[in-house]
Amino acid sequence: MLTVNHLTKSYDGEKMSLTDVSFSVRPGEVTVIIGPSGAGKTTILRSINQLIRDDDGEILFDDTDMRQLNRRQLRQARCRIGMIFQNYNLIEPLTAIENVLHGCLGTKSNLAGIFSMYRNREKEEALQLLQKVGLGEFAYQQCRNLSGGQKQRVGIARALMQRPKIILCDEPIASLDPKSTVTVMDILRDLAVNDGISVLINLHQVDIARKYADHVIGINNGQVVFDNRAKLLSDVAIANIYQKNVNTEGSLVHEF
Amino acid sequence: MIKPENQVSIPTRIPAGPRLSIPLRFRDRRRVTILLTLIVLAYVTLMTLPTMIPNHFKLGAALVSFTENIKIMFLQPHLANTTFVTLLGALGQSILLAFLTTLIGSAIAFFFALASTRRLAPTYLVLGIQSFMAVIRAIPTVLWVLIYSVVFGLGANAAVVGITFHSVAYLTKVYADSMDELSPGIIETMQAMGLKKSAIIRQAIIPYLIPSYLSWTFIRFEINFADAIAVGAAAGAGGIGYQLFMSSSFYFNFHEVGVMVYMILAFALVLEIISYRLRSVTHQ
Amino acid sequence: MNSDVQQINRFFSKKRFRLTLIIVILGMAYVGASIGLGFQTHSLLNVQDGIAWLIQNFIPNEASKGYWNEILQQLFRTFLVAVAATTCAAIVSLFLAIVGAKTLTPAITVSWVIRAFSSLLRNIPIVAWAMILLFSFKQNDLTGFLALFFMTLGFLTRAFMETIEDFGTEKVQALQATGATYLQVIAQGLLPEIAVALMSWILYMIENNVRDATLVGLLTGTGIGFIFNLYFKSLRYGAAGLVVLSVIILVVSVELISNLIGRLLS
Repeated sequence: MLTVNHLTKSYDGEKMSLTDVSFSVRPGEVTVIIGPSGAGKTTILRSINQLIRDDDGEILFDDTDMRQLNRRQLRQARCRIGMIFQNYNLIEPLTAIENVLHGCLGTKSNLAGIFSMYRNREKEEALQLLQKVGLGEFAYQQCRNLSGGQKQRVGIARALMQRPKIILCDEPIASLDPKSTVTVMDILRDLAVNDGISVLINLHQVDIARKYADHVIGINNGQVVFDNRAKLLSDVAIANIYQKNVNTEGSLVHEF
Repeated sequence: MIKPENQVSIPTRIPAGPRLSIPLRFRDRRRVTILLTLIVLAYVTLMTLPTMIPNHFKLGAALVSFTENIKIMFLQPHLANTTFVTLLGALGQSILLAFLTTLIGSAIAFFFALASTRRLAPTYLVLGIQSFMAVIRAIPTVLWVLIYSVVFGLGANAAVVGITFHSVAYLTKVYADSMDELSPGIIETMQAMGLKKSAIIRQAIIPYLIPSYLSWTFIRFEINFADAIAVGAAAGAGGIGYQLFMSSSFYFNFHEVGVMVYMILAFALVLEIISYRLRSVTHQ
Repeated sequence: MNSDVQQINRFFSKKRFRLTLIIVILGMAYVGASIGLGFQTHSLLNVQDGIAWLIQNFIPNEASKGYWNEILQQLFRTFLVAVAATTCAAIVSLFLAIVGAKTLTPAITVSWVIRAFSSLLRNIPIVAWAMILLFSFKQNDLTGFLALFFMTLGFLTRAFMETIEDFGTEKVQALQATGATYLQVIAQGLLPEIAVALMSWILYMIENNVRDATLVGLLTGTGIGFIFNLYFKSLRYGAAGLVVLSVIILVVSVELISNLIGRLLS
């Protein structure tokens, strides 16, 4: 499904760099990346859909290397990769249904994008997705009037509108209260189990990772230090992932 | 529903905090800059003021005559050489001129702004367009109108094109600035979904831009109204400005000037009210 | 087709209808205004004629080099007048704004009077100022200075007042609670905090006044505006081009200096 091989990235000597990161994501599973902040979790996620161009390595998505694609091919590949953000990144002045429909614009023409032209089938699907995340009655609400948890659910519906094979979630619950956290994580888990979508999540809450993950990847200082089933995530392993580290520049990488 | 609860995670953000924590060196740089600028301005002003009053100039007499004229203007406004209807028409012309130039200017400037915002355009294009616009902005509107009145002949065409020139340069800058203020995450998100540039502009940038687009365009309308009057007077391009020029420097009739100033003030009042309403709408 | 889809379709049709309506209204207003003014849209397509004409005629030639001295002198004069007018207006405005700001004003009536006064000054067209002043003060720099002064006074009073009001009532009250007198609150608490904002307004106004000084000069027969008019009307386009060039250089350098100061202040 998705395989990352020997991904290496450096921001000219900055702490947020990756060294020889390799892992793979299986379909229908929740894979969680944990690690201290600044360890490079976000960099990995953004390298997968090439929002950040990496320096070296291989990112195989459906057996094609994302790094070798030209602009048009990359755009087409991105259409099948959903992404969810900590700050939701919705278009707040627009309604929930419009935001969800944005998910299917990637495959449509310029004209459709400019004049918001959607097929009836797509409109129906968008509404169903909103109902699926429990926001059916908020379809015509401006997103700026929704709560954080609701915004994130609109974000999920938008990602699903892309009919993604994989969903990348960059700290999806970092800005949410405990109740919304449970709602959002339950939805993400459900997508993997029932829809067979691969879900790759960046988290810094270990307890959540333990509860929801099938597979856990531990990152510390840009390196993979744990890559195994979630049930094998022992306290010793966690301590190892979150240990304080003196990196090459000698400055302290601060722990979570 | 539970109200927004975004407080849980943002622990890394340092609070805007006490001003004293600004490094001393930094505070000093500010203080020195302000002090130096003030000294230079004061020096220039003090050197200039005495040289401005010409020799044998009767300042007292001038001031008396000035207050006299102000009194005539505001306390005894009435018409002599023209009719109220004519003036109303002239005011309408100036308003139309301001409206038309703002409309054309904002439409053209929108596309220039798209091509010169850091969010979408490459650096060389941003720098190129912005410097070109800075040069156009540097030339006063009235000079543009004068130049075009030679090419097109004196009249509406020259006035519209001349004022539009300046409007485009001004609006391009402020529109591009408001696009630059958009969070980069929004555009990145749309790119991550594989959207084309046209779709990103239409679906993400425009919805966010509408409030600032409206308020800047309105501000430019106010400026264009003032410019329309000035151009009418200085380049003979018609409108209430031309009437103002005729009454004051041809007939020397300040009673009449008073009427026109009152008319312009009345329209300005209308604009203030609209701008107040607009602000309360866009601030929702 | 189920009712949900119909509802979505209605939503999009409504949005589209609103947009179309706005475009149609603006289009009709455009046509109406064009007819009312006698403006021909195709002249927009002839904009390049103006540029071409400008380039052909406004290139300073050998003869126009003789005007260099006069132009530089007038340019410098115009700049000085613009700066002096802004500075003087800023001083008076600061006083008016402190007395008039809602957070500091001794009486709310005073605040409203000052507000109305500044609005009046701002909205009287600069043409009217120039003409009235020209009549009494005749053709000299003082006229231009005063015209700019009154406009700037109206503008800066409003701007300063808003800056002071943004500073907030709580901070003023907190300072007063420490037992500071009215003057101490202003001098020790308020002014240092808002100095940067006031400075950027002043710089902005200087930029603006350098440009407006050309217009005022044209109307009152002084400074750079006057000599432009003189050369232009007497068809000495080379010299007029030189004036335009010098104005560009002046305005752009004032803008650059003010950007530099702005960066030092941030």
